[in-house]
Formats: sequence, C-alpha cells, structure tokens
Amino acid sequence: MTEPVLEVRDLVKHYPVRNGLLRRSVGAVKAVDGVSLSLGRGRTLGLVGESGSGKSTLARVLVGIETPTSGEVLVDGEDVTRLNRAGRKQLRRDVQMVFQDPYTSLNPRMSVSEIVGEPFAIHGIDPAGGRRTAVGELLELVGLDPDHANRYPHQFSGGQRQRVGIARALALRPKILVCDEPVSALDVSVQGQVINLLEGLQDELGLSYLFVAHDLGVVRHIAHDVAVMYLGRIVEEGPETEVYDAAQHPYTQALLSAVPVPDPSVRLVPAGGSPPVESGVSTGSTNGERSTNGVGSTNGVGTTAVRRLPIVLEGDPPSPVDPPSGCPFHTRCWLAPTLPEAQPDPIPSYPPTDRPDAGLRLVPSVCETEVPALDAHPGAGRAGTPTDPADSAASHVVACHFARELIVPGVGA
Amino acid sequence: MSAHPSTDQHPATTPASGTPLLEVTDLAVEFRTPDGAVRAVDGLSYRVEAGRTLAIVGESGSGKSVSSLAVMGLLPDNARVTRGSVRLAGTDLLALSRKEHRARCGEQVAMVFQDALAALNPVHPVGYQLTEALRARRGLSRGDARKRAVELLDLVKVPNAKARIKEYPHQFSGGMRQRVMIASALAMDPDVLIADEPTTALDVTVQAQVLRLLAEIQAERQMGLVLITHDLGVVAGVADDVTVMYAGRAVEQAPVVPVYTTPAHPYTRALLRSIPSAAGTGRLPVIPGRPPSPAAMPSGCPFHPRCDAVRDVCRTEVPPLATPAPGRTSACHFAADIMAGREPAAADADAVGPTDADPAAVEHRDGHAMAADQATVPTLDDQDTGGSDD
Ligand SMILES: Nc1ncnc2c1ncn2[C@@H]1O[C@H](COP(=O)(O)OP(=O)(O)OP(=O)(O)O)[C@@H](O)[C@H]1O
Ligand SMILES: Nc1ncnc2c1ncn2[C@@H]1O[C@H](COP(=O)(O)OP(=O)(O)O)[C@@H](O)[C@H]1O
Ligand code: SF4
Ligand code: SF4
Ligand SMILES: [Mg+2]
Ligand SMILES: [Mg+2]
Repeated sequence: MTEPVLEVRDLVKHYPVRNGLLRRSVGAVKAVDGVSLSLGRGRTLGLVGESGSGKSTLARVLVGIETPTSGEVLVDGEDVTRLNRAGRKQLRRDVQMVFQDPYTSLNPRMSVSEIVGEPFAIHGIDPAGGRRTAVGELLELVGLDPDHANRYPHQFSGGQRQRVGIARALALRPKILVCDEPVSALDVSVQGQVINLLEGLQDELGLSYLFVAHDLGVVRHIAHDVAVMYLGRIVEEGPETEVYDAAQHPYTQALLSAVPVPDPSVRLVPAGGSPPVESGVSTGSTNGERSTNGVGSTNGVGTTAVRRLPIVLEGDPPSPVDPPSGCPFHTRCWLAPTLPEAQPDPIPSYPPTDRPDAGLRLVPSVCETEVPALDAHPGAGRAGTPTDPADSAASHVVACHFARELIVPGVGA
Repeated sequence: MSAHPSTDQHPATTPASGTPLLEVTDLAVEFRTPDGAVRAVDGLSYRVEAGRTLAIVGESGSGKSVSSLAVMGLLPDNARVTRGSVRLAGTDLLALSRKEHRARCGEQVAMVFQDALAALNPVHPVGYQLTEALRARRGLSRGDARKRAVELLDLVKVPNAKARIKEYPHQFSGGMRQRVMIASALAMDPDVLIADEPTTALDVTVQAQVLRLLAEIQAERQMGLVLITHDLGVVAGVADDVTVMYAGRAVEQAPVVPVYTTPAHPYTRALLRSIPSAAGTGRLPVIPGRPPSPAAMPSGCPFHPRCDAVRDVCRTEVPPLATPAPGRTSACHFAADIMAGREPAAADADAVGPTDADPAAVEHRDGHAMAADQATVPTLDDQDTGGSDD
C-alpha cells in the first residue's frame, strides 16, 4: 500500500442540542464520534451505513465545509485542522466535493461556465490560457459539449448536471474528490454513465475518491476499500472483497444480507405457489457457509427458489444524542444475544423502557460496557488467514468483541 | 363515503383463481400542458390476481405513478384517461362517475405512496389519522376505532402501538411512518394494494423489514399486490409477475424468472446488464442517452435511439406487442430473437447501434436542447401497441 493521500484520526463532530429560552446546551448530536480512516493515493474508499450514521457530516468536515470538534485530517501528511486560514485555503483546494442532488446543488441563476469557473474566482486563480479555455477543457473532460457553456442548469438532464458538478469540483485540480451519494438521484441507466466517468477520470488524473453511497452494489463496483459506519463510528473497514465476501462485523453482515439481489432464484419471499427452500445466511456460526442457489429454470414462477433470509435488525438506529454504552450496536446486534457469554447482567439494556421486551434481551456484559476497538481479528477470517499487518490502509479491521466471519450470499456476486 | 350502495351489489369476494382481481387494459393518460397534450401512459395493460405480486418496473417518468393514479381515480385535474379500461372484479371503473370510482377503490383498492411523511398530516397524532378514517368509512365508534387502530399498528409491527398512537408523524422514523401508511391502507381490508415505491426512501435494512411485512400480510389475506419500483433487486426478491415500463408503455411482461434469465426486450436486457456486479471489474455496461420526454417521443420504437439491437424498421415502425412465449409479451420487432439471445436477423448495413464508448456524444445527441428537434408526437393511430396479453 502506498502512503495514504488522506488520513483521518479520531475525528469528532458534535452538534450542540440547545433547549429553553437561554438556549443552553443540553447535550450533543454525536454525528461523527471518533472516526479514523485512510484513503490510498489513486484509490476509492467506499463509505456505507444507514441514514443518519454520519456519512455526510464526515464528508462535510473533510472538505472543510464544517470544522471538526476534535481530531486530525491529514492531507499528504499535513494536518489541515492546524493550519492557519491561508494554509487551510491552499490545502482545501486539494479536497473537493461532489454533491448528491444535481437538481439543487447548482445555482439555477448561474450559467454552466460561471458555475464551473467559480472556483477560479473564489481562489483568485487565473489558469493558463484563461478561464474560458479552462472551463471549456473541463466540460470536455466530463463529456459535455463546451459549446453549451452558456446554458443554465435547467437545460440539462440529471446526469448532465452531475457532470457539471464534477467539472466544477475538478477546476482546481484536486487530489481528492469526496463524493456524497453522487449517483443516488439518478436513474439506473444514467447512473452507470456517471460511474464510468468517475472511474475514467480516476485513471486519467490519478484522483483518489471517498465515495459515500447507500447502494452497496454501486459501492462494491467502484470502491477498492470499504468502510462501514454506524452511529458516528467506523465498525468495519477493509478491502472491498474482504468486507463484502467475508464480513466480520454483525452490522455489516446484517446490511449485506438485506440488499436485494437481482436474481429471482434467491427469493426474499416465496413465489406465488411453491414454498422455496429456506436457506440464506447461517447466523451465529463461526464458519458461515455459502448457500447454494436454486437452479434458475425458465418456466416461470413455481420453480424452486432458495429463500434468502435477511438478518432483520430490530427497530431503528438509536439516537446519536444518547448513543448506547459500550458497543454502539449492542441494542440491535443479532449476534450478541446468541453468544454463550450472554448472561443475566445488572446493567439495563438501552433504551430502558421503550421496548416491550426490554430487559429480556441479554447480551454479553462486555458489549454493554466496553467500546470495541477497530482492530484486525486474524483468527476470525476464513480458515484463520491473518491479514497482512504491513498492508496498513487496506487491512481488514472490525470493531466487535466477538468478530467472526460470516459469508452472506449476494451483493453483486 | 361510508357504505356506498355499490359495495352491496359487488361484494368483495375473491374471484376463482385465474380471474384477475384487477385488470387494466390498453390504458392511455394524457396531460394538458402549456405546450400541448402530453401522453404520459400509452397503452398499458396488466392484471393482478389474488395472492400474487405484480411488479411494475421502470425509470422515473416512465408512467408508473400516473397509471396507478388513473386506476385509483386520483389523477390531477389537468390529466385525463383517453383510452382503455380498469376492471375491478369485473366492473369497469372508468365507466363510473369519478365519485363512484373513488368510492369503489376506497373499499377494495388501497394505495401506499413513496413519501410517507408527505402523506401523513403533521398536525394530528398518528392514531387520530387512523381512527378518523375508520370512523368515517367504517362507521365505527370512537372506542372501537381506537381499538382497531391499535390492532392495525400491531399488525404492521409498530412496537408499543398503544402508546405510540398518540405520537405525531415527525416522531416516527421513515420505516415506522411507512408502516403507519400500510396500516392505514389495510384499514379497509382491500383486495388489491398498490404500493408506489414504498421502500425507495428507506435504508436496505428497513426496506427488508417492510417488504417482508407486505409479503406476510399479502399471503395471509390473499391480497393482490402491485409493487411499483425501479429496483430490479426488489423485483427479483418479491414479484411473481413483472411489467417493465418504458416511456409510458409496457415493453415487456412475463413471470419473474424468465425476465431475468431470458429477457425478451432489449431495454430489459440492458437494464439487467447495467446493474453493478462484483464480477464486473471494468466499465459498467450502460444504456446511452436517457429516456425520452413524453413531449418529444422518438418515431417508431420509442427505445430506438438507445437500443443496441436497433434496425432500420425500428426507426419508422412502432413494434406491435409480440408474444415470444406463452404468457409473455414484448414490444419489440425482434422479441423472439432477443429472447433467444440471437442478433436480430434483419439485414441492415448501416445500423450502428449506440455504443457506450462515447456516452457523452449520445448525451449531446439526445440532450435536452435537442429534444425539440426530434419531437415526433405520436398520434393515436400509430400507437397500436396496446391490447391485453394472451
Ligand atoms: N447541522 C446539524 N445540526 C444538528 N444535527 C445534525 C446536523 N447535521 C447532521 N446532524 C445529525 O447528525 C447525524 C448524522 O447525519 P448525517 O447527515 O451525517 O448522516 P448520513 O449518514 O449522511 O445520513 P443519510 O444516509 O441520510 O444521508 C444525524 O443524526 C443528523 O440528524
Ligand atoms: N401533473 C402533471 N402534469 C404534466 N405532466 C405530468 C404530471 N404528472 C406526471 N407527468 C408526466 O407524466 C409522465 C409519467 O410520470 P410518472 O407516472 O410520475 O412517472 P414514474 O412514476 O414512472 O416516475 C412523466 O413524463 C411526467 O413528467
Ligand atoms: S461487540 Fe457485541 S454488541 Fe457489538 S457488534 Fe460485537 S457482538 Fe454485537
Ligand atoms: S423494436 Fe428495434 S429499437 Fe425497439 S427495442 Fe426492438 S430492436 Fe430495439
Ligand atoms: Mg447523507
Ligand atoms: Mg413515481
């Protein structure tokens, strides 16, 4: 692994919660709560997690739209948070953002050439050959007709607007693009065009991407490494193949098992008529086995299909204002109650009374009291293959006291 | 709206198997816009049977929502149905007055929308919204309505329903709000449930919960379910039958398995190929260009500017609805070839299908500003693609 172009250390971003007339701070939304990450040069790090897990907050801190509560952001080894204003501005040029919604992220009153050229104006830069030429080149780079530079955003389709957003982000020749759900608002057929463009630009310009998306199939396609976020923390990180094919965190496993697979021989529910063979993920085993898919025959429904049982998590993620003690996932973890270590415990479950079965759910006490560190668990891997510790940024790390591999059939396989 | 007389004449019985609960035939819907009439749905046919799930798949703007609103009698004022029929247990709803149409649907067809937050009234507690509907339409007493509302919320697995019934929509998460919407749709014991992108706004984990819930309720009540979605993963997981829509038309209809194994329309095939997969390391196969706007429909086959199997005939002739296999339809001149995985035979020297080598070029060609140039608004006569299957 080459040395990382971006490194994040113990990054925290809390938003104060104010209450009453005096607007006293009564707590904090712990949107990002101690995140460490590294992004390799020329690589793509995918960031996934449920809504509200802190992905966009992290993205905004990384591009400098928000200042972190604490922690370090290192670009090429230099801590951005410790530089003075001028230094920060300079370094910020290296990290640019592509937003989700191409419909609202572009100013409707600005022409495309003004939008794409705006970073030159903001940073007082006169590119060689002049701004007009530079804008034309940028448009060409993202596959737009430079003759359309004087048009306005409403004259473009969603996919074309996303290209405009990418051209703007590339104006200052950044090293890193932080893409927050860049294709989520696009139709399937247009989504592929933008993904291909991003991949092409990476090869051509040697860019590094932090790619936030909720579509695990898209992330699997574009990312080299993947980080999984839950309640403001990274719970698992590693090379794409390891995280997808040999996930070790119960949350990642649940997430992967819930992704619908475009293969009718792996059913979520029985097809009208014949009940499918129940199979799916084998929960709780240290040695999950890949389920064999039913043989897809072409004579329509009624074929034997394998029923895929997603690991259904109970309830919604807890509030980031008052996250659970110990492992933040312990209130919804499907693995913890199945462990032999789970036993009656004096510490009440979180939240105390909200659930009808409150108090019945027993998890190992260590899950409730100790925050699991994000560590490699060499013994948890397939046949106990240890991950190479020298492969630092790409090593497979998991924040779980009981990390163990579980093969979840499916996503994009 | 309580106990409309027509319900007594048409008891909500489950028809014998094979008889559709709901049958849409050759439906066409037009909008009056400042730029003239725009056809959003153009010859859509489908049928829903008891206990089965029909998935309607298509990209945004393909007419999925408009066609459902037409079925429910909920089209906006600037829209009108120009053709076709919607038969509910035998009765053509479109032949009824708008009021009767809605009343019949209120009793037998329910709809769940994508945006549960917008569909719930923010100023009333969740329970009030359920009990009001039950009291108005079922004539239940306040106490009975409350009891039934709690039962319904229990049914959709809202934890601690008795207490949560007093909470407001904003206090519910997205998944919980969608459960409330499903509960309210079930209040009238519908025979058919139309769910328009019910999980699109939800996380995959919550989506799995909601899809499973829908499937359980459907199996228990032998409801017909129309699931509208753009997600081919969701379709594969839950549908029995599939209708693929493109530009207001059903371009392919088939049971779920063959749609994935032997698609009979190039659009279906291209959609399936464009799903990112682990195996694909290189560039994604994409469909060049973008869907046409209904105001600027291409001549001939509406998919021809983006089709990788296009031949000369496609540019001028609207493909008829072919039956490449029993129980399957495809609106393609070469349906049988596509289904068999063959190149269409028709000799055509200069037919160069778009490639993904230069998507940008195609975007220019099909770009918004160019739309007016290719405006060939089809007339009623040249749209002979309707007609029911079999
Ligand atoms: N400016 C803010 N003030 C207070 N709380 C905030 C603010 N921005 C975000 N949050 C909270 O921080 C948490 C993380 O939000 P964030 O938008 O980063 O999530 P996300 O992972 O991007 O979710 P999604 O998938 O829905 O985009 C949420 O609980 C959110 O409500
Ligand atoms: N109120 C309206 N006025 C004019 N056109 C409309 C209106 N509502 C929908 N349309 C058009 O009808 C077509 C189909 O829309 P819709 O059914 O909402 O698509 P889908 O649900 O498949 O995304 C689109 O081209 C859309 O622009
Ligand atoms: S530490 Fe315990 S609660 Fe947390 S993920 Fe691991 S097993 Fe589950
Ligand atoms: S009719 Fe022609 S253009 Fe249309 S889908 Fe078939 S092959 Fe393609
Ligand atoms: Mg976000
Ligand atoms: Mg819609």
